[in-house]
Amino acid sequence: MKRFAVLQLSGCSGCEIALLNAEEWIDQFDLEYMTLVMSAYDVPEVEVLLVSGGVRTEYDLYKLRRAVRKADQVIAVGTCAISGGIANLGERAEVNDVFLTNAERLHLPDLLPSCRPIDIEVNVDLYLPGCPPTPELFMAVLHRSPEMKIARSVCQECGLKKAREMRPTHLLGFQQGEVLPDVCLINQGYLCIGSSTRGGCRAMCTLAGYPCVGCRGPSDAFIEKESQSWFDSIHRVFSHMTDIPDEELDSALRSPQLSLFLFQFADYAGEGQAPRYKEQMV
Amino acid sequence: MTTITFPLSRIEGHAQVVIETRNGEINSAHFQAMELRGFEYLVQGTPAEQMPVIVPRICGVCSTAHHLAAVEALEDAYEVTIPPLAGKIRELMILGQLIQNQATSLFVFTLPDRMGLTSMFEEAASDSAEKVRGQITGRALQVRKAGTDLISLAGGQFIHPIKAVVGGVTSGIKPDEAASMRNQLEEILPLACELIDIYWEKSYQLRERIGTWGDDEPGYYIASIGGREDNFYSDQIMVMAPEGLICDSFPAREFHDHLDFEETDYSYAARTSYQGKMMRANSLARVNMGEESGLEHTDRYLIRFWDAFGKPAHAILLYDLARSIELVYAIERTIRILHEPLDNEDTDVPYSPRDGDGYGLVEAPRGPLIHHYHIENGLVTEAEFIIPTVHNVMAIEHALRVAAERYITPGKVDMELEKAVGRVVRAFDPCIACATH
Repeated sequence: MKRFAVLQLSGCSGCEIALLNAEEWIDQFDLEYMTLVMSAYDVPEVEVLLVSGGVRTEYDLYKLRRAVRKADQVIAVGTCAISGGIANLGERAEVNDVFLTNAERLHLPDLLPSCRPIDIEVNVDLYLPGCPPTPELFMAVLHRSPEMKIARSVCQECGLKKAREMRPTHLLGFQQGEVLPDVCLINQGYLCIGSSTRGGCRAMCTLAGYPCVGCRGPSDAFIEKESQSWFDSIHRVFSHMTDIPDEELDSALRSPQLSLFLFQFADYAGEGQAPRYKEQMV
Repeated sequence: MTTITFPLSRIEGHAQVVIETRNGEINSAHFQAMELRGFEYLVQGTPAEQMPVIVPRICGVCSTAHHLAAVEALEDAYEVTIPPLAGKIRELMILGQLIQNQATSLFVFTLPDRMGLTSMFEEAASDSAEKVRGQITGRALQVRKAGTDLISLAGGQFIHPIKAVVGGVTSGIKPDEAASMRNQLEEILPLACELIDIYWEKSYQLRERIGTWGDDEPGYYIASIGGREDNFYSDQIMVMAPEGLICDSFPAREFHDHLDFEETDYSYAARTSYQGKMMRANSLARVNMGEESGLEHTDRYLIRFWDAFGKPAHAILLYDLARSIELVYAIERTIRILHEPLDNEDTDVPYSPRDGDGYGLVEAPRGPLIHHYHIENGLVTEAEFIIPTVHNVMAIEHALRVAAERYITPGKVDMELEKAVGRVVRAFDPCIACATH
């Protein structure tokens, strides 16, 4: 059986819980290391290493570098491992400085100046985006089965009916309660970016009446391009389906809840970083 | 002086225990949380309405509690009262979280301590242990999966829910969906009871072997529960004095007047106390403070517990047994709610956002969770997250000291101490991602 390990850096354990929900692996793979569910001191030699969470402390960095040497294949799992994740919302200088000053403690691993994606530090073979990825996606990545077809976009999986006659002129807030159950959320005035977000999640948020925030990152059409091309595509969809002014859309797209996910494959790594190729995405 | 460090596993997040000893005397026993993302800082400037989707990312184990605490904090600031049906759907989210959490803590985190295993996924050394493990692991995951499925049904997403919105929830639950969830829970209820009976038996065997249920010093207890049958959470936080009487009760808005909150220099988690005195939150607090539920199996276990250990009970390994009772409670209570119509009325009311302060209170699996936001021009300018694990930090360290005193003598450290440290910490089921946030 294929041997795999799960290394958890600074994150929320949501990815690990999602993996636990995919019960099938228990009979198909040997889990060798995952401190959430087992007592073990070090990552042993494994074929696959799943890494979740961002590199927030010096200790995270130490563990990451040690672990990747033991693995044939390294997979970055979830938004935090891919981009640093939610901790990146604190990147603004005025917040980060206060935070780092107040966070000083004795006898604890020091915090790095920012929460880093793992691929700045080590080679990553595959990316499994999602906050968190669904259990089926975990199984797909463990099996690495080429026949596993992942839907092109969330929109394709969602299938809520477009209503040509509904052309909203302004965005509704994220927290408006009333949602028509069978109509496309864009037609209802919600900022849903499922049209260009990578599929594979079964569109569970939009089908439950909540607009897609893009946690799976851009679809193959945009993954190798700058994030501006993703932005442009969202703008095109909205100008085609609504009369919402561009500026309103733009500022909403840059709000924390969306930018967290919209920029996850963007330029956190600094200039000169090669794009993530679509073949590397699950 | 000798310093002994114990890395911890089978808990949520990164923490360790450090015990300092000299000539058999215990100088200190510290519980250190070792990670920090800085949510109190990073949410500053966030549009208030986005908090219910951002803050579940504090923790993937307790995300439902944060999702609801955020929505309730905004509703408190906007002075919104939600329709009763929305309250029901939210209660289902909490119950799903409770099923998932208690099943994970019992059968994935703490049962290996009672069976001499490093994990429930490990092959056991002997055939008889292997048989037990084989019987348990698959079924345990089935039970916790039912909790996740319930979160998905009521909350819309399986880890970070999205269906609670200011004013209510986005939709009710259709009768066919409710019926199929009910069937699933009716199937797992007997499974859960069997697993729990094994768990109790193994716990008594552990008690025989080590000769103690752990630190049993009387302390204060804290929880925010209403009646046990009809509502897991209430809008009041209650404190029970060591001898068993409710001695204080207050809304989330007043928590600073009743609880002391302090940072420490050796951990990224803070700690709270009841006016300087040690308190305990989580399952044991609720079972000490709760009443009979009117639910068949829950009450059977409750009475068995109270008869055996008294009310209030203080020994910390009883947390795990109390947790098992709550697993049964959550399943039975959910089945009862799913018999009611859940898509027959409005699930939300309109509201107008406004600035000011909002407080949200949720009884999370680990105890009372408080979110406080200060909102200016629609943006969060200040946030406080009072985390249930933080209520327990003093009690964890007290129990660690008791364990250290038991196993450390001049010139000798009994190796049982490492196991004891694991058992003590896991009894409190701490969540480090939450505690540090």
